[in-house]
Amino acid sequence: MDKIRSDLIIQIDAKSAVPAYEQIKRAIKLAVLSGGLKEGERLTTLREMALKLMVNPNTIIKVYDQLENEGFIYSRPGAGYYVRLDRAKSGAARQKLFREVTQDYVAKAVDLGFSSGEMLRELARLTSAGIPGGERKDGCHD
Amino acid sequence: MIDITKLSFSYGKTRLFEDFNLSLPAGQVCLVTGINGVGKSTLLRLMAGVLRPDKGTIRYEAALGADPRRKIGFISDALSLYESLTVAEAIRLHKSVYGLSTFDDSLIRHTKIGSRQKIRELSIGQRTILHLELVLSLDPEVLLIDEIIHSIDAYLRRIFLEQIVQLLSTRRMTVVMVNVNFHDIEHLIERVILLKAGEIAVDETIEDLKAKVKKVSSRSRPDSLYVLSRIDYSDHSDFYVYPFHDGLRQGLEGDVHDLDLTEIVSAFIGGEYA
Repeated sequence: MDKIRSDLIIQIDAKSAVPAYEQIKRAIKLAVLSGGLKEGERLTTLREMALKLMVNPNTIIKVYDQLENEGFIYSRPGAGYYVRLDRAKSGAARQKLFREVTQDYVAKAVDLGFSSGEMLRELARLTSAGIPGGERKDGCHD
Repeated sequence: MIDITKLSFSYGKTRLFEDFNLSLPAGQVCLVTGINGVGKSTLLRLMAGVLRPDKGTIRYEAALGADPRRKIGFISDALSLYESLTVAEAIRLHKSVYGLSTFDDSLIRHTKIGSRQKIRELSIGQRTILHLELVLSLDPEVLLIDEIIHSIDAYLRRIFLEQIVQLLSTRRMTVVMVNVNFHDIEHLIERVILLKAGEIAVDETIEDLKAKVKKVSSRSRPDSLYVLSRIDYSDHSDFYVYPFHDGLRQGLEGDVHDLDLTEIVSAFIGGEYA
């Protein structure tokens, strides 16, 4: 039987100029890419997702449509949406997300007054790998 | 779809609308806002057919049939239900007037409304839920919601909004809300219309609106931008600007902040009181 996932926590920041559908999309992509949502897992239905987040169901339709086009999920007619990462399609999205989280990090660190050298050292410390030469943990090269 | 063309309407000598035009496509969730007295609720009443325009027309989608008012649900505190009837009697009457064979009372059961309670004994929130249930039993194509949801408690408000989301996820329904407080409806809204002196001052999709209205915190007034309103602090001012676009960030002194819908509408309305 399919596992039904309901504990994916998505927070929409109402103050952000990033549209709600984009924020939801990003949260689901992150969950798929980080393994929070597993391959083959069923996504919350449109109606439930709309209710849980109190967003217009049209917004969720848009989110699921775009996630399908971008290779993160697929739909089984009448059965719902399931996670399936199409690496060929999602590679660019993965890069883009990586860039976004990095940009967030850099912007915050700059606000706090840290230099790029300090950021690099902190990153190296956190990943416990010297820079240069840090290896990617997942061994995935694309 | 609702098409308002060249509408004029006055209350006595107070002219609220003149040559007013607005078109709402089917299936859209739209917010109408503006300062008190600008005519938000009047506009809703005109759309609902409760008030008649002095001039102009309000046309509805042909699919609404010969009596479009039946397909328009209007939720407002000003509509009196049958005060002396019990809830069960009101529902029975409603079913016979509209020839309904069934009635879904699941909302009422969730809200501790007793079927033998008199309508006049219900709280505003309970009346609103009952009203919603009566309206929804007619399968409306258009739902007009007046400011009433401000006056109901958080639990009933949630039930009310959940019901709207449920409906929107199963079928196409045009929803027009009149509101000045948005924290829990913010993500339901697709389009925002701000009325000002009988005219549409702003008509934007929610996404465009959020991209175009910003708060600029600065020591000096940003001269390249149109300032809607400002709040002064000892060492800087917050300038609410519209329309903003990313190209304006270049060379701008001060920080640019994104806003939620409540802040955006406050910025517009604040400008009118300034």
